[in-house]
Amino acid sequence: MRVAIADDSVLLREGVARLLAEAGFEVVATYGDAESLLVDLETRSVDVCVLDIKMPPTFTDEGLRAAAAIRARWPQVGVLVLSQYVELGLAVRLLADGVEGLGYLLKDRVAEVEEFVDAVRRVAEGGSALDPTVVSQMLSRRQADEDLGRLTPREHLVLEAMAQGLANRAIADRLHVSVRAVEKHVTNIFDKLGLVVGAHGDRRVLAVLRFLRR
Amino acid sequence: MDRRLGLLALTVAVAAGLGALALSSTGSPTPRGLMLADAPALALLIGWSFAGAGVVASVLRPHNRFGLLLYGTGLMWFTSALMASDSPLVFSLGLLTAPWWLGTFFHALHIFPGGRLDGTWPRRLVVLLYVDVTVVQALRLLFTSSADLPGCADCPRNVLLVSDQPHVADAILVVQQAGVGSLVIGGTLLVLARRWRAATAPQRRVLAPVLATGAVCLAVQAVSLAAQPASVRQSVGWVGALTFAAVPVSFLLGLLRQRLDRAAVGQLVVDLGEGREGDPLDALLRTALKDPSLQVAYWRPETQEYLDGDGRPFPMPARDEARAVTRVEREGRRIAALVHDPSLAEDATLISGAVAAAGLALENERLHAEVRAQLQELQASRLRLVEAGDRERRRFERDLHDGAQQRILAVLLLLNQLVRRADTDATARELAAEAKAELGRSLAELRELAAGLHPAVLTDHGLAVALEGVAARTPIPLELDVDLPRRVPQRVEVAAYYVICEALANAVKHAAASGVTVHVCERWDGDDSTMEVHVVDDGVGGLDAGPCASSGSGLQGLRDRVAALGGTLEVISPAGEGTRVRAVIPCG
Repeated sequence: MRVAIADDSVLLREGVARLLAEAGFEVVATYGDAESLLVDLETRSVDVCVLDIKMPPTFTDEGLRAAAAIRARWPQVGVLVLSQYVELGLAVRLLADGVEGLGYLLKDRVAEVEEFVDAVRRVAEGGSALDPTVVSQMLSRRQADEDLGRLTPREHLVLEAMAQGLANRAIADRLHVSVRAVEKHVTNIFDKLGLVVGAHGDRRVLAVLRFLRR
Repeated sequence: MDRRLGLLALTVAVAAGLGALALSSTGSPTPRGLMLADAPALALLIGWSFAGAGVVASVLRPHNRFGLLLYGTGLMWFTSALMASDSPLVFSLGLLTAPWWLGTFFHALHIFPGGRLDGTWPRRLVVLLYVDVTVVQALRLLFTSSADLPGCADCPRNVLLVSDQPHVADAILVVQQAGVGSLVIGGTLLVLARRWRAATAPQRRVLAPVLATGAVCLAVQAVSLAAQPASVRQSVGWVGALTFAAVPVSFLLGLLRQRLDRAAVGQLVVDLGEGREGDPLDALLRTALKDPSLQVAYWRPETQEYLDGDGRPFPMPARDEARAVTRVEREGRRIAALVHDPSLAEDATLISGAVAAAGLALENERLHAEVRAQLQELQASRLRLVEAGDRERRRFERDLHDGAQQRILAVLLLLNQLVRRADTDATARELAAEAKAELGRSLAELRELAAGLHPAVLTDHGLAVALEGVAARTPIPLELDVDLPRRVPQRVEVAAYYVICEALANAVKHAAASGVTVHVCERWDGDDSTMEVHVVDDGVGGLDAGPCASSGSGLQGLRDRVAALGGTLEVISPAGEGTRVRAVIPCG
């Protein structure tokens, strides 16, 4: 899997590059700003881009804009946006055009190597990765919701994991249960929330996120 | 001219008039076309009114040459009476000086009311006329036999005659009257018309009567020069003479107006005494001095600058601007300046009277202006303080982001490597994992700290995005309605953000509210816009947000912040009825 990294901090750029290289990714190139990445994408074939949100020149939302540009021009390229802080408002804007091949994570997550590598891989394969903070913000906004209130604590955890973009296998690993058990939970959750069961993967994420943002 | 000298001048004028009358009415009835002989009353009226008006004008405005010229015109008016004499010498002197009054009369018209000849053309015209009535007149008399003069069959000998050349004399007469005369009259009419057009309202008030009669008079003169039949010429001449007599009268009218203006200053004293609150001082002075363009500038000794009534810096007119500045002093200190039409400066007593009457009020207003200026500076410095504080916090937050947080993260990544490499040594792995966890907590704490210093999302993405996060973190149902099509200035965003956060914190912590709505919008009024923030909860109310409040003390701090931006913060919190917080902050 080919990955390109754009982050204005050399330390992190190189750290993430080394980490992904060791995890078996082919790090095609690293960049200090979004503009040069966009220029290079014209000629380079890449599966996934890891972008910092704040980059030169204005250090505000260059990463966000680059993400939108990449998704518009090269829809097959996954984009994982890293941010110093995560905000629901930004997630909502980022996910407005669909969640396929899109990730939005707190920058600190790179230190949880396995989960980070998993998220990059998911996004590269067209899946999604949403930071737990954002998901919990979404859930807390729906605290008083009756439908959510009917979920068991375990189903709650499964819902959260689904919203983060995890597949059944990963959810099962995280909760130390069997895949079959997860599948059962998922069916229950969809029943209780009145959601139509999407086949799998990103459609499922979309259904869950749509529900949470309702 | 003092009064005694004026009295003397008047006596001389009266004597001159009576002497002229006596001279022209002695001897046989003369058909010499002398007005003094044909219409003595009118002739005396003209002469004396000029001389009298001249004396009055000189007394009132001693430094203005206008009065002297009027007086001179009046005196010289009588010299034509010398032509009635049977003595050849006196007769010839009369002939020579008869048109002299025209010179001073035109001169006076041109310099009224300022006392100076302004511009090339007026100067040329006046000089030309003086030459015409003195030199050219003398030249003509060198070639004119008295017998050739109209109605002068029995006149004495012209002693100036050198050679009797009727054709030469006629030619000179054409040049003198039809040529130079009409040129001067036409030119003067043009100059007066242009001055009228350029005049400001107060100038016109002074110019109007004199210019009107002067212009009619000149027009009549022009017609009489052109009219051929002697009868028409004579009757037009009569009209001219009557109008001419009115010229000094019109000037006296002007003087009377000035008296009325002084009465207006008296009214100013009354108005000030009554302390009419509604009318600002500058409006009262405008009325009193009849100059709608008048402005009052108050002196601020601290900064050595002038202020307007609202305490803002007052730009004094540049030198080339047609404005006059009168400084106002009180007990030797400069307190103000009146910026007014230059024509007001003509009558120094009028303006000094008004200034004396308004002195105390001016001093009061000056103090007000000074206080307003200080308030504005205070407001500006308060705003600068708030902005400086925000700037610092933003800088700290950014330093934390770009510095400490990035580094710790990089170290975390290195530790990961270390853990991976040290897979044989269990203790080392354990220690590294512990260090990792510790660093992770530090990172989280730093992030909290940075977010507390300054909400970076606000700077980076604006209020709407930031508020979605706030709404998500609020543990009670929150209805968020943000209508902001554009980014407003940072300080306004920050103030609105803090107001909302604080109001929400109150709703959750103190009001036990079960629901809250937040409404934010930008309202436009012309080119100015204000941001309106409403936070309404359904809690217990009774929030004390007064100056000595305890529960709402956070809001009190925000009230100061909002006030520093020129906005207002209202907290309405009746017990049992929920709390409404409303902030209005100008975006300008």
